Amino acid sequence: MTENSEYSPNTNQPAENPPGHREHIDRQLLHSEKMAAIGQLAAGVAHEINNPVGYVYSNLQSLGEYLSDLFRLTDAVESAASIEDLHQIRKSIDYDFLRGDLEDLLAESKEGIERVKTIIAAMKDFSHTEEEEFRYADLHAGIDTTLNLVNNELKYKANIVKAFGELPKIKCIISQLNQVTMNLLVNAAQAIEDFGTITISTWRDGDFVILEVEDTGPGIDATTLNRIFEPFFTTKPVGKGTGLGLSLSFNIIEKHRGEISATSTPGQGTTFRVRLPVHQPQEPADD
Amino acid sequence: MTRILLLDDETNILTALKRLLRKEDWQLDAFADAEDAISALQTHSYSVIVSDYKMPGMDGVTFLQFARQIQPDTIRMMLSGHGDRQSMITAINRAEIYRFLSKPWEDYEIQAAMRSAVDLYQVTIENRRLLDQIKRQNNLLRQREEELLRLEQANPGITRVRRDKDGSIIIDDEL
Repeated sequence: MTENSEYSPNTNQPAENPPGHREHIDRQLLHSEKMAAIGQLAAGVAHEINNPVGYVYSNLQSLGEYLSDLFRLTDAVESAASIEDLHQIRKSIDYDFLRGDLEDLLAESKEGIERVKTIIAAMKDFSHTEEEEFRYADLHAGIDTTLNLVNNELKYKANIVKAFGELPKIKCIISQLNQVTMNLLVNAAQAIEDFGTITISTWRDGDFVILEVEDTGPGIDATTLNRIFEPFFTTKPVGKGTGLGLSLSFNIIEKHRGEISATSTPGQGTTFRVRLPVHQPQEPADD
Repeated sequence: MTRILLLDDETNILTALKRLLRKEDWQLDAFADAEDAISALQTHSYSVIVSDYKMPGMDGVTFLQFARQIQPDTIRMMLSGHGDRQSMITAINRAEIYRFLSKPWEDYEIQAAMRSAVDLYQVTIENRRLLDQIKRQNNLLRQREEELLRLEQANPGITRVRRDKDGSIIIDDEL
């Protein structure tokens, strides 16, 4: 890493940091926050994967039993003394049940594997680090990817209501926007005490698109609300939050020339609103 | 008939469990919702309960605590994909479970655990039945003893009837 010299007190450093230094630090922070978030999710994701793997693995074991029963019948075709014997075996292995259940067993197992595939794909989409370019992307697809990943955190805390409007593709770094969405969703779920509702709404507003995440948690009081975008500010217990999620979300949205804001009614819930331009200037984020 | 209650919000887990237990001579009642499982507990008596840990609404530990109040003798087990220490500890301390099984599982593990749970339930019930029987018999004995004592007090010597060789009662002239 050539940038290492910047941190060494012994080299003759100019008082000003070189251009691009801040951006580099920002990028590193962004990355470490993302990794922290993934770490927190890992336990949840493990649970989400263990369920389908659990029944698929068990179904395979049952399938083995079914097959050895079926082979008893097919092998007997050669050796059985009479057709009567075959009927007897067919009855004893519960052939009709096996036949009927095999289809279900395979369909359910396939569904399980597909669920694991979706989760892995979502994690891969999410952890994309190389993708730093602004491209036109579908915000709804990004939200769905993120929902797949955090579903386990959310489903025990809230009903998810999707109120998606018509959106054009917007020019953005979708993996970074996914990080913002994940942050807002996890925050919303953590805010809810027992069980509530999280509403994700999107709509178009001229040359902008709006994304809102609304929870039915206890709300945030005015003093706290003023500070939520500050780095390292957190109300969560030690170990639960880094205090960086919202401040990095703020940076990401700023980089996209958008706005992020929060409104809250104590006792009723909090709404985060992200406003993003559909297009970016030719030379994006180079200010 | 041995009745088993299975609870998991994931219905595919329930069918997988039913498959691996289908050759046992047990009635398997499967539920995807804890509330439904609780109403079943109020109408039927179960030998073994297997519950998931993490479910929307009521979690497995809370459910098993309810189950313990409704049917204290039923053997409780937990099947969880959430193999962290803390969930295991709460399940043991609060729900007093017999086994903590993790997802994914080996079928023979579940089969063996279920069979020994069913055995344990039957032993517990048999034990209770025998204990009841002893208590009832003890009560009967005590009542008889008290009656004898009362008679003896009212009419001293009445409980010590002497008989002849041919079984006829000897009446003492002195009395």
